[in-house]
Amino acid sequence: MVALVIALALFFDFTNGFHDTANAMATPIATGAIKPKTAVTLAAILNLVGAFLSTEVAKTVSGGIIREGSDGVQITPDIIFAGLMGAILWNMITWLKGLPSSSSHALFGGLIGAAIAGIGFNSVNLETLLQKVILPAVFAPLIAGIVAYVCTRLAYALTSRHDPETGSKLTQKRGGFRTGQIFTSSLVALAHGTNDAQKTMGIITLVLIAAGSQRPGSGPQIWVIASCALAIAVGTYAGGWRIIRTMGAGLTEVKPAQGFAAETSTASAILASSHLGFALSTTQVASGSVIGSGMGRKGTSVRWGMVGKIALGWLFTLPAAGIVGALTALLVKTGVVGVVIAAVAGTGAVLYMFLVSRKSQVGHHNAVEVEEAGQAVRFAKKKALARARAKANESKDTQR
Amino acid sequence: MKWLELLTVGGATLVSAVTVVVLYSLGVRLTAIAGDQRTTAPGWLRSLAYTCFAVCSLAVLFGLYLIIPYFSG
Repeated sequence: MVALVIALALFFDFTNGFHDTANAMATPIATGAIKPKTAVTLAAILNLVGAFLSTEVAKTVSGGIIREGSDGVQITPDIIFAGLMGAILWNMITWLKGLPSSSSHALFGGLIGAAIAGIGFNSVNLETLLQKVILPAVFAPLIAGIVAYVCTRLAYALTSRHDPETGSKLTQKRGGFRTGQIFTSSLVALAHGTNDAQKTMGIITLVLIAAGSQRPGSGPQIWVIASCALAIAVGTYAGGWRIIRTMGAGLTEVKPAQGFAAETSTASAILASSHLGFALSTTQVASGSVIGSGMGRKGTSVRWGMVGKIALGWLFTLPAAGIVGALTALLVKTGVVGVVIAAVAGTGAVLYMFLVSRKSQVGHHNAVEVEEAGQAVRFAKKKALARARAKANESKDTQR
Repeated sequence: MKWLELLTVGGATLVSAVTVVVLYSLGVRLTAIAGDQRTTAPGWLRSLAYTCFAVCSLAVLFGLYLIIPYFSG
């Protein structure tokens, strides 16, 4: 069971990586600031480095959402197994749909479902749930959106140039924002590595402690750190191209100054939230920033249909991951056979979704770039698209 | 409920993001003015632009300081 949980935790780390590449790298890819492949490589390296930088492990798996500890319930490897199953499946589904959604919320959802089914309803701390998951989910995109809106407005107001005599527009020369994008998106990627790899390390360490193979209160072992860092880096490098497409082109069209404003807002919000005591989800912050910046730039529109889909996805994150977690917990309760069934069913579901993703990739191979967002774009096409867009931007910049 | 923390986070986000974006935009704009061919821009414009970028890079360094637990403890 312990080995199974560790394997599952590492796979969760992997899905977390490729789910969240988009948060940092979607906008620079969309504006052509960084080439797609370079962008995911950069993000992967920064995630790897970030994972090694921060190895302090949380005392609880769920951060207090489930009443853990000496006076509460004992979170067994069984529950963690079930919770991870729910989180992974939800991550895969949202990836298939190209929806950015918070990996940690999926994990919370899975754990809550597993705890309710495995232990009982009173094992969940509702107040902490409200404070740590539900309220941030409302306020993260709101804060980031407003800030990104203001920043985009300012960036465009400050750099709009008119000829003092004729009043006609001069060349705007906003290409400089692309350089800035590289730094802001790198900060987001590094912050992600320090935060998210650590979660998996914490899970594995707590499972090892529960299994008695590690002293309580000791930090993660070096192989745990290394494998978690590697898993998240490989996941990031694999790049959730579907989600990148949604964030970079599906929500709104992103231009360099706007992308810079969005990323600065994302980076500020993440750093502020992790140091001032109100945790916000990176994914939700990044999505909010992109939407806000889209509203802030004149001559662009936000695709509210897409926004609605994403919001719906967030709404379903907790219950959907929770249901899978609960079902898995019930299966695991029945004994070894149940564990095997759950593991096989989970692997099957993941494989099935992977195959479906392959199919639609081939299916849309002939379709050109005009197709709507959220659909798979093959790597080469994505690259060409970004290049074409960069060219278009440049020519627009010179035209103005 | 941690409303105060929420407000602090929102405020800090707004202030820091606006500061960086304004400075960087000024830098971009000043570089553009300094690069204009038709007008003869004074030389200090370009150095002012670089100052703006330098302050922005300080902000990035501060971000790194916050991210890396070794420094911020």
